[in-house]
Amino acid sequence: MATPGKTYKRLRNIVLAWLTLVVLGGFLLDIPRINILEHTARNLYFHVPMWFTMMAAFFVSAWHSARYLSSRDRVRDVRALEAARVGAVFGILGLATGIVWARFTWYVGQGIWWNFDPKQTMAAVQLLIYGAYFTLRASVEEPEKRARIAAVYNLFAAACVPFLLYVLPRQMESLHPGAEGNPAFSDITHPIMRVVFYAAVIGFIGLFWVLYTQRVRLAALNERADDIPEP
Amino acid sequence: MKQPFKAWLAGAWAVFEKDLRLELRSRYAVGMLLMFVPASILLILFATGQEPLSPRIQSGLLWIVILFAASIGLGRSFVSEEDRGTVLLLRLHTRASMVYAGKLLFNFFLILVLEAVAVFTMILLLNIEVAHSGLLASTILLGSLGLAGATTLLAALIARAATRGPLLPVLLFPLLVPLLMSVVAGTRHAFEGGFGWGASGEALTTLAAFAGVVITAAVLLFDFVWND
Repeated sequence: MATPGKTYKRLRNIVLAWLTLVVLGGFLLDIPRINILEHTARNLYFHVPMWFTMMAAFFVSAWHSARYLSSRDRVRDVRALEAARVGAVFGILGLATGIVWARFTWYVGQGIWWNFDPKQTMAAVQLLIYGAYFTLRASVEEPEKRARIAAVYNLFAAACVPFLLYVLPRQMESLHPGAEGNPAFSDITHPIMRVVFYAAVIGFIGLFWVLYTQRVRLAALNERADDIPEP
Repeated sequence: MKQPFKAWLAGAWAVFEKDLRLELRSRYAVGMLLMFVPASILLILFATGQEPLSPRIQSGLLWIVILFAASIGLGRSFVSEEDRGTVLLLRLHTRASMVYAGKLLFNFFLILVLEAVAVFTMILLLNIEVAHSGLLASTILLGSLGLAGATTLLAALIARAATRGPLLPVLLFPLLVPLLMSVVAGTRHAFEGGFGWGASGEALTTLAAFAGVVITAAVLLFDFVWND
């Protein structure tokens, strides 16, 4: 697994070319001007795919944690950790793009940075859980025990988080499409925007896959380097 | 092993009885909780002064005090086993699920004591009038079940980690956001009055479902924490 095969390299290059096209299309293609949003609507191509990617990373991480507990294979633990790490980066980017977007469109002149939007709150909670996961890992020395305990926490968190999807929207108002009073996503999106948007979702999930597999490779190489005796 | 379920219940009850007896001898956890809760409520009182607080803030403060007290007081339930070196003995004589059930029962009991003290002190010191005591009681019961379920599993995790002290709140609080929002909603309705059972049905069903999911997941995962 340490040396990437031909298919892997080809897929990686496809992802990179794809994302380049998405970024070019996202900035250059004409979009309809909507009141308030204007050109910031292009943020749709970057902000929303970050969430999709974070959710994908979350599932990958939980899946490998579950597989670790049943197989005790150390690669599974590395995969769970790296998926969580890359997922956390996408989560931070998604939160940042969302906060800036809301601040300079809906809240312009009001100076509000943080609003209690359900999706925003859920992202913050998810980032806190990732933080707790990393802290827990740092507190255990022994690799086998650390892998086991971290996997248990990761799965336990995966059981608790879906409740937020049910609880939050009932207690908070939302700026996002589909919430009460806001038109659903399909009503407000121009065909061209949709094409770029779906391409961006695929592209960013592909970027996640590249970063994640590279980090897993790096971890495997580091481990192998540790095994080589000092000359 | 004629009746496996009865044997399981007896084992779980034995773990609970052991913890209760040890607690009655040392009175460490109860004593700490009895001091922590009034102290923090008094701090709230000094900080807010004579200002009348809205029911929403009252119920939020109440549950924040309870969550902090639980995360400090219940973290010891497995650490003490490791310290005394009784883990192996327990592992030999009982199955993992019995230990979890026994500890869960004990922690549930501790949380109920803690909440009784917290609610009583809060009502007394902040002059709260409880409009709907049945709703308050059922919110507290269902909420503490979920709280105990999560705390027991995480306390077992912490006992395995090297640094034991302040880790439990870090692990616990993000998971309890849905629980916190529902108990605060239920408690607020109980304090405010004018809400029947119907208005809080959503909060109560969420709490029951949360407790069910948390305890099921914890029972499934506890094996991996308890056995090496």
